[in-house]
Formats: sequence, C-alpha cells, structure tokens
Amino acid sequence: MKDIVITGMGVAAPPGIGIADFWRHMQEGRSFVGPITRFDSSLYPSRIAGQIKGLEPYSNSFSPRLLKKIDLFSHMALVTSDLALKDAKIDLRNFNLHRTGIFMGNTLGGWFFAETELRDLYLEGRGGVSPYMASAWFPAAPQGQISIFYGIKGYSKTVIADRAGSLMAIAYGARTLERGKVDLVLAGGTEAPVTPYALLCCNTYGFLSRKNDTPEKAYAPFDKNRDGLVIAEGAGILTLERLHDAQKRNAPLYARICSFYTNCDGYDRVAFEPEGICLAVAIEEALKEAGFDKDSIDYICADGAATASGDVSETRAIKRVFGKRAKEIPVSAPKSMFGNMLGAQGSVDVITTVLSMMSGAVCPTINYRDPAPECDLDYVPNKVQNKDVKRALVISRGRGGINAVMALERLGDGQKTEKDTEEGYYVS
Amino acid sequence: MLVEQDIREIIIQILSIQPEEIKMDEKLSDSLGVDSTEMVNIVLSLEKKFSVHIDDKQITKFSSPRDIITVIESKRARP
Repeated sequence: MKDIVITGMGVAAPPGIGIADFWRHMQEGRSFVGPITRFDSSLYPSRIAGQIKGLEPYSNSFSPRLLKKIDLFSHMALVTSDLALKDAKIDLRNFNLHRTGIFMGNTLGGWFFAETELRDLYLEGRGGVSPYMASAWFPAAPQGQISIFYGIKGYSKTVIADRAGSLMAIAYGARTLERGKVDLVLAGGTEAPVTPYALLCCNTYGFLSRKNDTPEKAYAPFDKNRDGLVIAEGAGILTLERLHDAQKRNAPLYARICSFYTNCDGYDRVAFEPEGICLAVAIEEALKEAGFDKDSIDYICADGAATASGDVSETRAIKRVFGKRAKEIPVSAPKSMFGNMLGAQGSVDVITTVLSMMSGAVCPTINYRDPAPECDLDYVPNKVQNKDVKRALVISRGRGGINAVMALERLGDGQKTEKDTEEGYYVS
Repeated sequence: MLVEQDIREIIIQILSIQPEEIKMDEKLSDSLGVDSTEMVNIVLSLEKKFSVHIDDKQITKFSSPRDIITVIESKRARP
C-alpha cells in the first residue's frame, strides 16, 4: 500500500475515552478489568470484563431521540467517529460525501438492545417489539448510523471476521482509498459484548478466563497461569486519507499503513494451527508488501489470545519469521490491561501502536510473571518500556485460525509535536 | 381536546422533543423528520392508548397531528 495515512483517531475503551485520556491511563500498566455489574452474571463461568464508563459527556452531539433508537455498539461508534473527525481536524462540509467511505468491524451485533426486545416478543407478542429493533441489532448498524448521522454516501463495508474484523476493516478501507474509489475513510470497529446473551455465547466458546475472584490478574497472555481472555466493550475509529491529500490540508499525520495480509489456518473449527505456519506466512507477506526488512521491525502488537493454542502458535510464528532476532523485538499485548474487544480490538491495537510511535513508549503485557512453555519472547512484562518505534506490526487473529497482519510506519521523526504536548498523550 | 393532548404526549415521548416543536398542521416527516421506525412506534402507541386498530395506510409519516386526531376520533366514534 502506498501513501495511505492515519490522520485522526477516536477511541472509547475501559482505560479512557479519547486518545489523551486513553493513553494517559495506558501508561499506568494496570488492569481495567472488573466484575460485571450491568446485570446478574453470578451463574456464568466467566463474569468479568472491561467496561466503558463515562460515555455521556462525549454524546452531546447526539440527540436523546437518536440514542434511544440505537444499541450501545452504535453509540460507541458514533462517539469515536466524532472524536476521530475532530482529532483529524476534518470538517465534512469540505469533503465530497459521495467519496467518503465507512469500514467497520464487528462480531456480535447489538445484543444489549436485541435481548430485551426478544424477551418482549415472547412475553407480549409481535406488538411488544420496538420497531427500532429493525435497525439497532444487526452488525452493520453502526456503519448505517454513522452514514445517516454525517450523510456519508460513499463505498462502505462492514467486516465480520471474529477478532480480526476491525483490522481487516481498516485494511479494506485503506485499499479502497488506494484504488481511488473514495477520498476519505472512517475505519475501525465497535463491540458491546457485556450483555447476558453475548456473554453466554462467549462463555460457550470456552476461551474466557474464569479468574473471577482476581479480575485484575485474569487476562495473562503468554503466562503459565493464563486461562483465556477477558472480554471488553469499546470502539476505535481512524480517519484515513492519501498522504498528498492530507498534506494539502495540513492534517495531523500519525502513521502510514504500509501493508496488510490475511489468511486462514484451515486446521480446526476453533483452535489455531499449533506451529503458526499460516500466521508466519501472513507476517512474511505483510513485510514483503510493505518492503520492510525484517531487521527494521521495532515492535509487534500481539493478538495475545491467552490460550495455549493461541500464545504458542503466535510465538512460534514470530520465531519462524524473525529467527534469532525474535527475542530482541518487543512483542506485547496491551489489551491484557483492559480485555479483548473482539471485533473492535484490531482498531484499538492500531491506535495503541500509533501512540507508541508518537510517544516512544511501548505498552506492556500485564500479568506476565511465569513464562508459559515456549513463550520466551520479550513480551514487555508489566511495565511501560521506552522504545523508539518507527516500524511495527499489528496481529489480529480470529476463532478457527483467521490470521490478519498489518504493517505500520511512523511519519516523521517521532519527536513530540505541539499537538502531543497540548493533549498530553506522551510519557512524561 | 383530550384526544389531542394524548396524541401530543405520545409524539413528545417517542421523539424526545419539546411540546412547542409539534406543528399541528404539518406532516410529521416535514416538521419533525419522523422516519418509518418512529412512525411504527407512534402507531403502536396510539393503538395501545386508544384501543383501536390502525391500518398501515391510515396514519403515516406524511400525516399531520391533526390528521391523526381525525383518524382516532372517527374510530372511537364507531359503535
């Protein structure tokens, strides 16, 4: 991919809303996972999650009339779109909305809304179901709500690929931009899995940590005592533009999206292929398309599934590609601090990686105390590490062996800008 | 008058709007930008409130609040 750049970022995650708040809290290297309080989850094997707090102050642009018609996952997508557009200094009146696109990742849909309506269907019959259900539930609803709210009419897609969805959405948005079909893209993902039915589905799959008594220690990728991931709700949206368009309007220039590759293990319905062969191929292909020398990779943002199958195959794939140098590259799963946002996680991983590039600090994998067998890379254990990151890879993987890899490159020298200082999202 | 008040309250509650925003003689789609899902919600609430059945085409987003009063009153007037 040539000259596709990230010019704005909006995030709503358990550590914070907006990049300044998010990054400030990410520097603390602590857990933002807690017991689920939204409903009685006492009978679920896993009943902990990363939950969003304080969305309301960021919702002033959206009327109560609109908010009552949409699910939390669309609400978060609207808030983060608004934050990303403001961050990018974009006034959509200056853009051709027929040449503006939306690319969203999601896995579950809007169950917070759907569950109560289905309950009413069975209790009251068809008249008990809110008509808003029609446009609130389905996974493409956030794309539709963003489109309607801003009047965006260009080439758009929603990608459903389990936990790899939003990284793919960003990549397809970037490719659409590269092909000249659009001039501006809003890309990312949103997920609201902290609902009774969505939590049940995730529990049934069997990949969730059951450390309910110690939620802050529950998500422990690459650690011997890992027992699965912790779900989280949240959203991340980026604005993407061609470099020369962005330069023309003096846009903030965060990073270049240099390549993307995806493939499938073709191995099992749930587990990853243990050797990490296909993930290694995906990393190699992403490096090749980007034109990156293997020695030039400064950081890898890992998928960090916190399962034996996921952690070992990911580690083996990295070793397969980078050989002896694998142990010299910081490889972390910052999501261990707040949980895995499933279809939205890739977008937040990209944002975290870009903020690492801007600030010269890599976020840790927390709860990494006793290395799991074969998990012996530099996972940036438990504390932020100062590191100049120019080139990085982001890995997202989905159930049953979906592999997705994106290569990113910092624009400029990575020195703190006036903007960084104003918003305070660097390590002081 | 009571019917009018009830209809106004239903519209205000469903659309989360202020009373003064209702224009009695203007189409709901024009004056308040009512969409199809909101209109279904309004019709369902009217049916529940007045214990009447309303056919799809009798009240639409192109109806004004005054049109709605007429439909409801004619249905209630029937034995």
